[in-house]
Amino acid sequence: MGKYIAKRIGYMALVFLIVSFLMYSLYNLIPTDPARAELEAQKMSLKPAEYEQMYQQLRQKMGLDDPLVVRYMRWMGLWPDVDGSGFNGLLQGNFGYSQFFKKDVVDVISAPMGNTIFINIFSTILALGITIPLGIYCAVHKGRKIDNGVQVVTMLGYSLPIYIIALIFMFFFCVHWRIFPISGTKTAGAIYATRWDEFIDMLYHITLPVIVMTFASLGGMTRYVRSAMIDALSMDYIRTARAKGLKEKVVIYSHAWRNALLPIITSIIGWFISIFSGSVIIENTFSLNGMGKLYWTGLNNLDFELVLAIQMFYTIVSLVGSLLMDISYGLVDPRVRVDK
Amino acid sequence: MKKLLSVLLAIALLASMSVVAFAENTASEKGTIIYGTSTEIGGDFAPGAWWTNNATDKMIRDMTNDYAVTTTDQGGQYIINPTICANLDSVVNDDGSKTYTVTINEGLVYNNGEAITAKDFVWPMIFSCSKVATDTGAKLTGYLTYVGGQDYYDGNATAVSGIRLIDDYTYSVTIVADKIPYFYDLAYVADMPFSLKYWLGEGLDVKDDGEGAYIAGDFTADAISKQLEFARFNAGEDRVSAGPYNLVEFDKAALQATFTINQNYAGNFEGQKPSIEKIVILRAEDATWADQLKTGAFNFYDTITDGDDINNAMDIVEAGGFGYTTFDRPGYGMINFQCDFGPTQFKAVRHAIAKLLDRNEFANTFCKGWGSVVNGPYGTGLWQFQDAEEWLELSLNTYEYDPNGAVELLVNDGWVYDETGADWTEGHIRHKKVTAAEAGNYVHNVTLADGTILMPLIIEWSSSDGNPVSELLNVMLAQGEQTAAAGMQINQNVMTFTELLNYYYRDASQGDKYAVPTYGMYNLASNFTPAYDQSYEWTLDPDMIAQGYNLNRLLNESLDALSMNMVYGVESDDVDTYMTYWKAFIMLWNNELPQIPLYSNVYMTVYPDWLEGYEQDSFWDFNQAILYCTVAE
Repeated sequence: MGKYIAKRIGYMALVFLIVSFLMYSLYNLIPTDPARAELEAQKMSLKPAEYEQMYQQLRQKMGLDDPLVVRYMRWMGLWPDVDGSGFNGLLQGNFGYSQFFKKDVVDVISAPMGNTIFINIFSTILALGITIPLGIYCAVHKGRKIDNGVQVVTMLGYSLPIYIIALIFMFFFCVHWRIFPISGTKTAGAIYATRWDEFIDMLYHITLPVIVMTFASLGGMTRYVRSAMIDALSMDYIRTARAKGLKEKVVIYSHAWRNALLPIITSIIGWFISIFSGSVIIENTFSLNGMGKLYWTGLNNLDFELVLAIQMFYTIVSLVGSLLMDISYGLVDPRVRVDK
Repeated sequence: MKKLLSVLLAIALLASMSVVAFAENTASEKGTIIYGTSTEIGGDFAPGAWWTNNATDKMIRDMTNDYAVTTTDQGGQYIINPTICANLDSVVNDDGSKTYTVTINEGLVYNNGEAITAKDFVWPMIFSCSKVATDTGAKLTGYLTYVGGQDYYDGNATAVSGIRLIDDYTYSVTIVADKIPYFYDLAYVADMPFSLKYWLGEGLDVKDDGEGAYIAGDFTADAISKQLEFARFNAGEDRVSAGPYNLVEFDKAALQATFTINQNYAGNFEGQKPSIEKIVILRAEDATWADQLKTGAFNFYDTITDGDDINNAMDIVEAGGFGYTTFDRPGYGMINFQCDFGPTQFKAVRHAIAKLLDRNEFANTFCKGWGSVVNGPYGTGLWQFQDAEEWLELSLNTYEYDPNGAVELLVNDGWVYDETGADWTEGHIRHKKVTAAEAGNYVHNVTLADGTILMPLIIEWSSSDGNPVSELLNVMLAQGEQTAAAGMQINQNVMTFTELLNYYYRDASQGDKYAVPTYGMYNLASNFTPAYDQSYEWTLDPDMIAQGYNLNRLLNESLDALSMNMVYGVESDDVDTYMTYWKAFIMLWNNELPQIPLYSNVYMTVYPDWLEGYEQDSFWDFNQAILYCTVAE
């Protein structure tokens, strides 16, 4: 197992390097001049010669005149910095500098990441808590009215774009019934007596986004679980188990569910990994300061170091996630040997 | 599993319900302004856009620091701030430079009670001249403005000779000769005090040994960076500032800033102090701002620009609970021509395009009634416009919608041929015989067998994607029957705004194709600052044009001279001469028509109905207007 993991980590490093180079090159294909953008606001207060002097200084400082490979290697930390101060890139733990926020990317990301994880943990637990039992129940009661009803509802949730669901829920829960706040993660101007009050206020604010995210994800997973369970329940060993006189609960949860889990495990682990990634639509609709919104802001403002850092983070998370999935196959299904 | 699900749902429900009452009370509290901003708070509260230029951050800076020696009044005119400045003398030196000697009032203090002295005004100027500032990433260019600044920046001097610390309450600054005279020269002394200890840390001091002022101590980027970074992003009781409000909290996770009144504030230039106790700034989403306003997520929404949004806001106001104010935009949206190639190099073509577009209808449709048409490079919110409104109305060509007049202009200018060189007939694109110089490399040119070059009346238009102005312009002008009937073809080319700018700037550094003149027409928008300064924007110098000045590429000596003289040829107190230049400039511009102004919006701000005395204007923003407000009984 250890050897297998070590080999996989080696592959992951290689994939990471390839992806990073591709991403860096792609962003550099976008025809934009960061130095010009940086100086544009000051242009009116500068005389032409002053502007040109500053522009050239800035281009040099940003290393914009160097070839793409040099810039990439510098960004990765495999080439000395522009000022010759040594290697200071991704490999040295420097995730870059946000040109839009004018501070280190790590500092920019920390608060939105916290919000995103906070929201996604609730959403993921709630969604899995509903979809797995519901999928099993529908599979066991296949063809009955309740199963048909759930199929219709989940198909609806699956088909509706999340922004439509968000706006409908927002209208009823926020505007019409005034149950939940419409935006943000904090009551305006609130001063909290304790951290608990702050936590509760945040929970109150994220309840509706969590409900929307949960509702939108119900369809896919419920149908997936149902389908896997129906396959498992049709197997011969289930008939054998029932013939042995085992209780129906044991048949469903010990025999059918364990076998149905194998195709589902990929999605479940994927969901847990996705707690790091924000939803651009949900966060923008509910004005939540999360990773999706930050990513959107970065793209809109051509803040490539920020966007690249976020994407590299997700690349690592995806690579680690795929390793975890493979390992989990072996844990769930003894027939699979991951070290072979 | 069912139990787990039930528990989770119950927790969520209980948590939600338990805070409903608490949250509603806080959000709708009378006397608290909850300001919804469409620009997210960036969190960088350093003075004067030293690093970043986020609009909401700027407003926050202005709310917490406004002890400038000179400032702008309700109309956007520069004035001396008597609350801060006891005396301001100026003298033009023999070498053409100008020295301002400033004496500040005694007794001014920061929000923490510490006294403000001349040193607090002087160190930011020295900092702006230093290499240290550049090393910390600050975009400061004071070294280009103050005498001796460049030497100090280059390391050839240990002090800035043009900045002098005279005594505890007096200092002087000398502005380099090539920036004098300048009509807005009071802006050169719009200095503000900042606590040296708070911004740069302990152990530093401002000194003047007779050769100029300097910062004594370990004044290096390494030594000050940590404190500087803390000072930029810090919010709380320990933030030292000198403005009407204190930034008592900035919640980075919620992106929410909270302000309370600075009890040590001496007042603005009219001595006005705030009475609204608490202000909270948070994000308003473009798609849901109306619901946010209705449900009390915020109770103040500033500068609504879109006509549909304004009409929505009017509905909310009519439903009750809110008041509103409207004001003119200090700028305008326009069609921008590049005048050095293709058909748009000919004035008659530019005039004809103006006459083919019903601008009144356009402005009315686009602004939904909340806007008007201007006929020159100004907005209806500018004081210059208000001073000269009658003259502008009588003197400028308004380019009324007149397709027949447009055709007449084209015919008189020689656009009378079809693509074969025969007389133009309906259903064809007009062509004009041009010289080789006029023809340039315009892609649509036709060369006849006898060598005659015909330029077709095809205008390539670059417009940014997702732009409602472009969509309306396409319908009303490019696809308009009158345009085709006049023998003109306008091709809309939709691209990203970045791509558009590359073509507009002809930025070869981004690719060779951008350096080739391709699009003769763009649609853009512009806003003015209180300092209406068009200098260099009409330069004839090819090097400057290559750098990004005179992007219209209209080479007109008179226009260049007028735009320069208007600001660099007039003393700041000579408004009459300034207005003479301004009118001549506007008149010539209106005739040359490098742009077609399309609309100048009316903006709207919605505020809670308990707020009394709120009056906003083009250059009189929330942070200034709120000082005059009270809570209705």
